[in-house]
Amino acid sequence: MNKLKNLLSSLNLGVEYIGLREVETRKISLDVRNEIFEEIHSSIDHGLMVEVLINGQFAYAATNSFHLVDVQACALRAKSLAENASKLSIYPFTLQERPVMVGEYKIPNQKGFDSFRTKDIHDLLIEVSTKLNVSNKIITRTANFELTEIKTIYVSSIGSEVHQTVLRSSLGMSAIAQDGPTIQKRSWGYDLNAQLGMERIDRDQLFREAARVGAEAEELLTAKDCPSDTMDLLLAPDQMYLQIHESIGHPLELDRILGDERNYAGWSFVKPIDFGKLKYGSSLMNVTFDPTIKNENASYLADDIGNKATREYLIEEGVLKRGLGSLESQKRLGVLGVASQRASDWNRAPIDRMANVNLEPGNSTLNEMISGIENGVYMFSNRSWSIDDYRNKFQFGCEYGKLIKNGKLTTTVKNPNYRGITTQFWNSLKMLGDKSTFEIGGLSHCGKGEPNQLIFVGHAGPVCLFSNIEVFGGGK
Amino acid sequence: MKNLDNKLFKEYTVKIFSLLKSDEELSLSLVGESTDFTRFSNAQVRQVTHVKQSRVEFKFIKGSKILNFSLPYSGTLEFDCTKTQIQLTESRKYIEGISDDPYIVKPFFYGNSFNEKLTTLPVAEEMIGNIHMISNQVDLAGILVSGDIVRASCNSKGQSHWFKTRNYSLDYSLYNDRQKAVKSLYAGTIWNTDELKNNIDQSIIKLNLMNRDSRKIPRGSYRVYLAPSAVAQLIETLSWGGLSMGAHQKGQGSLKGLWEGREQFSPKFSLSEDFTLGLSPQFNDAGEIAPEALSLISEGKLKNFLISSRTANEYKLTTNYAAEQEALRSPVVLIGTLSQANILKELGTGLYISDLHYLNWSDRDSARITGMTRYACFWVENGEIVSPIEDLRFDESYYHLFGSSLIDLTDFSEIISSTDTYFQRNVGGLKTPGVLLSDFKFTL
Repeated sequence: MNKLKNLLSSLNLGVEYIGLREVETRKISLDVRNEIFEEIHSSIDHGLMVEVLINGQFAYAATNSFHLVDVQACALRAKSLAENASKLSIYPFTLQERPVMVGEYKIPNQKGFDSFRTKDIHDLLIEVSTKLNVSNKIITRTANFELTEIKTIYVSSIGSEVHQTVLRSSLGMSAIAQDGPTIQKRSWGYDLNAQLGMERIDRDQLFREAARVGAEAEELLTAKDCPSDTMDLLLAPDQMYLQIHESIGHPLELDRILGDERNYAGWSFVKPIDFGKLKYGSSLMNVTFDPTIKNENASYLADDIGNKATREYLIEEGVLKRGLGSLESQKRLGVLGVASQRASDWNRAPIDRMANVNLEPGNSTLNEMISGIENGVYMFSNRSWSIDDYRNKFQFGCEYGKLIKNGKLTTTVKNPNYRGITTQFWNSLKMLGDKSTFEIGGLSHCGKGEPNQLIFVGHAGPVCLFSNIEVFGGGK
Repeated sequence: MKNLDNKLFKEYTVKIFSLLKSDEELSLSLVGESTDFTRFSNAQVRQVTHVKQSRVEFKFIKGSKILNFSLPYSGTLEFDCTKTQIQLTESRKYIEGISDDPYIVKPFFYGNSFNEKLTTLPVAEEMIGNIHMISNQVDLAGILVSGDIVRASCNSKGQSHWFKTRNYSLDYSLYNDRQKAVKSLYAGTIWNTDELKNNIDQSIIKLNLMNRDSRKIPRGSYRVYLAPSAVAQLIETLSWGGLSMGAHQKGQGSLKGLWEGREQFSPKFSLSEDFTLGLSPQFNDAGEIAPEALSLISEGKLKNFLISSRTANEYKLTTNYAAEQEALRSPVVLIGTLSQANILKELGTGLYISDLHYLNWSDRDSARITGMTRYACFWVENGEIVSPIEDLRFDESYYHLFGSSLIDLTDFSEIISSTDTYFQRNVGGLKTPGVLLSDFKFTL
């Protein structure tokens, strides 16, 4: 019997249900700027969340002490809070919202902390920084690496026992170029967080990307601003990740639709009656919740209450089918959801989140898409994002743009931005890139919840073509 | 609580410093809390969580090499010391693989301080009952946060700072049947049900204004009043590279025009970092004590950027002991002459905006920012509120907002405490008046 199960059996609270979730995180990150080693940070975090159910009310209490007396005190605090709150509960939950799950998740044969050598990464990042230095106009060059291992064990009084170990890494670089008052930036890799260990390091790829990133940052210094116009908009996968995240992922979260997030992250324009009916986007659009893709950033066996994760269509041929929400939210709202009740860490209660939310590829090659554009712009790499609290009116900015005239890529433009309204925008999806344009990314800082939580998510998508979009450039 | 106890923490640090070898130095900072979080929706309890946690951030220095690490801290001496000793051993191994830091900031004795303000608060269960009773007839969503917070910093040179406070905040919004909302914050160190009732009653009065039909405002420029809570969003966003010297030196700053003297704000606009607000400790993570007040922008002109000791070392400048991220910790905007009674009259015809949402730089070179209106925002005609508005997107430059467009600031300010709870409960807040603007550009 593992330690956590022993701890669980030692707690005698007289409640309907107890769950214990232990999370142990080990992380190391290194940063280099302008060929100078800037920072190494290593961290260990380890704590425990107790969850109880009394009179239809769940309550939580967290501690980073594993002494029985502290855990017992913590559990009693959860019990007291649940008893009191049950008089004012928003909904009477039952054990139906806590499935029994037993299983283990770990990707085999990954290279973790045992394969990590400080000096090797230190030297590699300095070399990447050197490769970014393509001209004396590149004033700032950064390269970063982060390796994280998260071990989560969840046990419950109804027999759940789930062990999940995730090894995650990120590797990013950026170049900032300056010429007088003009400053431009290009970056690579910050949106490519993935469940990969040291095996992700490909020196040739890194040096190739560094040379490109440096050259494109310098190129932007002499580029004209993106024109202000309504035109076709081609978006690269490294912009699509955030477009999917902000205008599909968040509005489909059931806790937002229920109004639980109204005071912080916001509400949603989606109504419960929209499921099965709302034409969210063009019929080319198929969006999945898919925690089964190997190495994608937010793959897992089960969420943080032991609900088994499966691939589901959220939007099928443009029609809204299913939301992103827990068994609790599904029960309250009466709509279908997914296994996505997740907590950012041991010290936060699980809430409705995204995990891997992907736009499935279509049938068009990149050449077919470009050749069909008479007047348009191709935008790469997100640099700015903002959307309203109902997830309707958005504005995104990108690092790098290429104008398209009469079916051909032409001039490079700086400060490319676009704005739109969510369902209008997705219904203007005209062509969807095929598998050759499909890329998988991962973000590490999705914020929502009260108390606030930052969590990692995965997004994947092909190059996408939207028609009649309002685009514009920089300047006062 | 062991993890928030000054005496236990002192014993722990004495023991840890004794583990250092002669060529090693160490500074450490403690972040801790014991907090009850209660989420409300429809004035009922959605989720309730108690969190007891502390963690220690270390800066381990050997010669000119530095390594940062962090560990959980429980307040159990033997357990914490054993874990720290293991990590120190590991750090000695890691640090060999890295090069010298030419801009290293070494520990220094900046003196000692002790600041512990603990009032008596009711238990969360009682507060929840008060909130439910007072807001019974109205749809309230939000979060009640209450408990103790600790920040501490000490180093192997003998420096020691301790800051502990007990407070609460009810960050909430009220909704009508049309799903229109007003937002408010009730925060402090002394819980008073009469004040809570008054706060919620005032919000209900504002909510009644939201019952009128909403008006869709076409995109364009309008005369605008931004309430203090909306201005607060603009000030907070300046922490994102706006007033950081390091960010500007690296090409990531957002007020470069102001820095180079190409641009300036209105002479009516002054901003300072002012720790007399008392919402956050004057010491930073390294234990350095910032000036009690530091002028950043005075009468429209840049006086100081925030400069950390590391930035000062790198660019050969003088530090003003900003935190490493060079973000605002206790900003105060100077008041103007516009009285509360004259706000609508002076606005005349235009938009009254109580809150802004989801701000982000749209073009840093031009100090341009985009975001949304949120909560109680109204169309005003001839000094009278006509109707709530449908949310609008703006895209504007700070140089215009706080420059040529700035007509006046209110003659009163509001203190807005931080409600940020990412990772742990934050400390801090800001103080700002409202602003009247001649034109503000809405784009969607």
